[in-house]
Amino acid sequence: MPRIQDIGTFNEVRESGMAKLVPPVPRIGIGMGTCGRGNGAEGVYHGFAEAIDRTGAEVVLANLGCFGCCSEEPIVNIRVPGRPLILLHQVQADDCKRILTDITTGKLTPDRVYCKIEEWDHITTHIRYGPGYPEIPHWHEVPFFKGQKKIVLRNCGFINPDDIEEYIAVGGYQALYKVLIDNRPEMVIEQIKASKLRGRGGAGYLTGNKWEFMARAKAEQKYVICNADEGDPGAYMNRNEIESDPHSLLEGMIIGGYVMGATQGIVYVRAEYPLAVHRLTRAVEQAREYGMLGQDILGRGFSFDIQIVEGAGAFVCGEETALIASLEGYAGRPRPRPPFPAQKGLWGMPTNINNVETWYNVAPIVMKGPAWFTETGSPKSAGTKVFSLVGKVHSTGLVELPLGTPLKTLVYDIGEGGVNGRSIKAVQSGGPSGGCIPQEMFDTPVDYESLAQLGAIMGSGGMVVMDEDNCMVDVSRFFLEFTHSESCGKCVPCRVGLNKALRILNAFTEGNATSQHLEVLDELGRMIRDCSLCGLGQSAPNPVLTTMRHFRHEFEDHILAHRCRAGVCQELALSPCENSCPLHMNIPRFLQLYKEGRLEEAFESVIMDNPLPASTGRVCQHPCDNRCRRQSIDEAVNMRDVHRFIADSVLLSDKYEDAVARIVARRMEPTGRKIAIAGAGPTGLTCAFYMAMLGHSVTIIESQPAPGGMLRYALPEYRLPKTVLDREIGLIEKLGVQFAYNQRVGFDVPLNELDDNYDAVFIAIGTWKESWLYLAGTELKGVYPALNFLEMVAKGESVKLGKRVAVIGGGNAAIDSARTAMRMGAEVNIIYRRERKDMPAIEEETEAARQEGARFSFLAAPHRIIGGPDGSVKAIEVVKTRLGEYDSSGRRKPVLTDEIQRFDCDAVVLAVGEVLDLDFARASGLQIKESGTIDYDRFSLETSRPRFYAGGDAISGASNVSNAMGYGKKAARIMDERLMGVQRWHDVFPSFEYDRTVPHETSQCRRHAGHHIPVSIRMRAADSIFPEVVDGLTPLEATEEANRCLRCDVKTVGAH
Amino acid sequence: MPNNTVHDQPDAAERAFIDQAIAKRSGSPGALLGILEDVQEHHPKRYLTASTLRYIGAKTNIPLSQIYSVATFYALFNLEPQGDHTVCICRGTACHTRGSRNLLESLKLELGLEENGDGSDADKVSFTTKDGKFTVRTVACFGQCALAPVVEIDHRISGHVNERTLQREVNVLEKEEAD
Repeated sequence: MPRIQDIGTFNEVRESGMAKLVPPVPRIGIGMGTCGRGNGAEGVYHGFAEAIDRTGAEVVLANLGCFGCCSEEPIVNIRVPGRPLILLHQVQADDCKRILTDITTGKLTPDRVYCKIEEWDHITTHIRYGPGYPEIPHWHEVPFFKGQKKIVLRNCGFINPDDIEEYIAVGGYQALYKVLIDNRPEMVIEQIKASKLRGRGGAGYLTGNKWEFMARAKAEQKYVICNADEGDPGAYMNRNEIESDPHSLLEGMIIGGYVMGATQGIVYVRAEYPLAVHRLTRAVEQAREYGMLGQDILGRGFSFDIQIVEGAGAFVCGEETALIASLEGYAGRPRPRPPFPAQKGLWGMPTNINNVETWYNVAPIVMKGPAWFTETGSPKSAGTKVFSLVGKVHSTGLVELPLGTPLKTLVYDIGEGGVNGRSIKAVQSGGPSGGCIPQEMFDTPVDYESLAQLGAIMGSGGMVVMDEDNCMVDVSRFFLEFTHSESCGKCVPCRVGLNKALRILNAFTEGNATSQHLEVLDELGRMIRDCSLCGLGQSAPNPVLTTMRHFRHEFEDHILAHRCRAGVCQELALSPCENSCPLHMNIPRFLQLYKEGRLEEAFESVIMDNPLPASTGRVCQHPCDNRCRRQSIDEAVNMRDVHRFIADSVLLSDKYEDAVARIVARRMEPTGRKIAIAGAGPTGLTCAFYMAMLGHSVTIIESQPAPGGMLRYALPEYRLPKTVLDREIGLIEKLGVQFAYNQRVGFDVPLNELDDNYDAVFIAIGTWKESWLYLAGTELKGVYPALNFLEMVAKGESVKLGKRVAVIGGGNAAIDSARTAMRMGAEVNIIYRRERKDMPAIEEETEAARQEGARFSFLAAPHRIIGGPDGSVKAIEVVKTRLGEYDSSGRRKPVLTDEIQRFDCDAVVLAVGEVLDLDFARASGLQIKESGTIDYDRFSLETSRPRFYAGGDAISGASNVSNAMGYGKKAARIMDERLMGVQRWHDVFPSFEYDRTVPHETSQCRRHAGHHIPVSIRMRAADSIFPEVVDGLTPLEATEEANRCLRCDVKTVGAH
Repeated sequence: MPNNTVHDQPDAAERAFIDQAIAKRSGSPGALLGILEDVQEHHPKRYLTASTLRYIGAKTNIPLSQIYSVATFYALFNLEPQGDHTVCICRGTACHTRGSRNLLESLKLELGLEENGDGSDADKVSFTTKDGKFTVRTVACFGQCALAPVVEIDHRISGHVNERTLQREVNVLEKEEAD
């Protein structure tokens, strides 16, 4: 190909390119960026090549860049002449043959179809592919692309990056031609200034001003540099831009060189991006060949060349003066500015440095004008920005959005929220120089100013999503570790300051920090920010300062409670399961003891960690499952079911008496201290167990006639047989705990009386009151609050339900009520205002209810209950809802519609949420929070009244059994320490010798779970008692399950 | 700087390669980085020996102190011989949030690589097994964040890696070595 020297040749090349891009025969394009390759795109390419070869089909195969939706790779785009471009996703090599057959026979099998594109605006040209396929969504109807506007990524995923002709076909190098013909460089600079284009590398300096500054500098030699040293972990848009569309970068730089008077361009690119380097090298060669680089460009007399330099892995080289030092053959250490590079840059010559993405905006601005550019974005931040949306988010990839788009659009609409139902906690924007933005602030528009206000920065556009499994202290430590190791060492604040700050953060993650460390860290951070020489040091404290501002409670947890809720800081936890367990059970230990055939010891380990092991083994929400590291291999270890198996094997067998005797024998010498506990529910019983073990004299005051609280009166027999509960409570009675039944604290027993007679008081009452939603008709006969209903059934009182029952709510109380009602012969309809996946109830329970015949009406909120003339329920009317915006729980808020449905029914059970009885709250004289729970100190559990502690639902609001017990255990530890003035807690627990090595071979066994008995048997009562639905594991299953544990508690080397 | 008392020179073939690299790059921006990259890649153990650095200094008229400064500043350069196989674990933010630290730690456990324990090597990014078979490194970010966590084994990128798949890949290499 001769060098293009005139418009005629230019147009010929353009047509030749167009013939490749939109050939008269079908074309298959494979996304061959690094992401595509990482997901198997090369195999797909070869698959198509072979199939085409074999069949001799007249089809063109092309290698393309990436369309941005990395989690859907490999992406294949297919164009049949006159029809829309079809994007297929997650294509595998063995799909190729079928897809090719489809193309040649004019069919379209829908299984890999992602979306279609009927026309595309390349900005510099417009391509119409044609209409068709009404059943396939348009690309901008796919959630990931909704609201995206592709200016920078205009060609990515459409053209072959290795072919300059395809770039010219979509209007490439037109802007350059125009600029050279117009021959008015100052006009171009004016255009860039008017466009308000700001540097996309992070700092956001106005590009036009920078260019003007450089253009005015007089020198023999000037340089323009593209900073492609994208070292910011979590950001990879520059890699993709270069890999997918390298010529746009070259065109921007050549225009820049021309208008600023430079003849030499340099691209400083990361060596970690081999494909980008490869494609860019190829692009430079082609540009030279076609006359876009070198002497007399496009025959207009301008000479300019570009050289590629590979960086060598130093983050600080993203700083412009450091980058220049690196090019000159020195270590990349920055120097003070001024002089600015535009005055004295590379080898003392005026130099302009812009980020990759900035250069990509040049040609569109030149072609379409600044007014067009400022139409997009916010007043101070014009245009778009490419973000890399990664981390704990469902859809990951590169997203180009108008500046000023709210963060929640990015995270929830485009990213489609968290992974596996986890709730999102924060977004880290701007990498090691940026900050963490908490979920409550996701309304923030993403532009330079708004992010800066939150202490974060736009940076290069990395958006890393964090969820509840990420510890924010660890995240800030992670960034500081990075900047600390990347500090060039030139200035003291950065070199020494970051080191000190890192040591302090280590103290946090290791559990050795004090409150003073927080203050020092804050002061040190500000000092480093204000005194460092370059951007690295000045911004390095940002991740720490913002997390301290927005997530202070996590820092406090690490200091005061030695807790890392996310379970990331390993020194603070035995293992992820232990950390997630509200009772902090040593789970790996009981698994191992059982595995070693030591059942009695395994039981002792279990019961000392959890005094109601058979009950919790049945009804616990098992948060341990969500944290188990085995999930990364297959599924979580079923710790709850093994724990139940161990508990049942002893508690429900002839080993019971011996086991109880052993526990009772461990009881400490009497201390003479008297403890009163209000409430014999799981919280109170747990506290009583430990206080008794510690030698205190314990009395529980309970309003009901028997102990157990919710376990007895809310949990149905088919989930937790009361015989099991009685065996467990029997042990607590044997420890000498006194029970005073049928007495209410605050009414029958005044608080002053407790104050006089006891050394400490623990308030552990439950949330028994239904939070009565405002609804017409709740006064009718046949309307029941869920807990009252369950309680009446548990007590054997007669309840008239009728044939059809509507249950309102989506929590465990709703499901328990529904299943209980079905066992009473009723047909049940569960009405919930969101979708099934949003239900807070345990999924297995919901599924069991469905199997037993419950019907569900999702997206429906109660409107009114209709009564008959006799004052009893006849029907319920519901309003259909639709899901609106995301709320603070990361779920979409149900919005009422006009559509009303009516269900005939004889009873309504309301299970919309339970609260504390406010009568008690008032009578107690304790301070109550606005949420209606008892006010308490987060770390000591103390209430507003001295020596009065509180725990469980009374302080947390309605929760679950294990959470409640966790409070009881914690309260016992704190009260004992306060009463005795010394730490005796650990003395209560036996120690065990057991194997502490990681199993040599990981068990290949799949997860076992307890067996649900058949529905027909479940629903049949014997002596009016319904059988327990879930059977325990068999001994073999329990052993296999214990074997699946990866032993995260073992942390030392040599553990083979 | 490793203090070799004998000031040996690279062998003739090595010298010829270095001369060529210098001739190709001299005078252009980023020349020294390019020369060092070429020479390191050429070495079978992918590292820069003291004699090589000295030779480059003599040939380019760049002070040895400056060359040493560059060779120690950038993460890409090795002054120690690298293992037959390199497993490079990405420690970028996305990989971190998706558990790359566990991968690194379990791999170190698997290969018996121990830290000094005094925190002196907290910044260390490269560990080589005593038998010289494996080098475990970290990288700031591969820019493959959508595939997190990412591991590169002998220049081949794998995405969505978990402990078991990583262990399996390493076992395959170990077996190859043994055969």
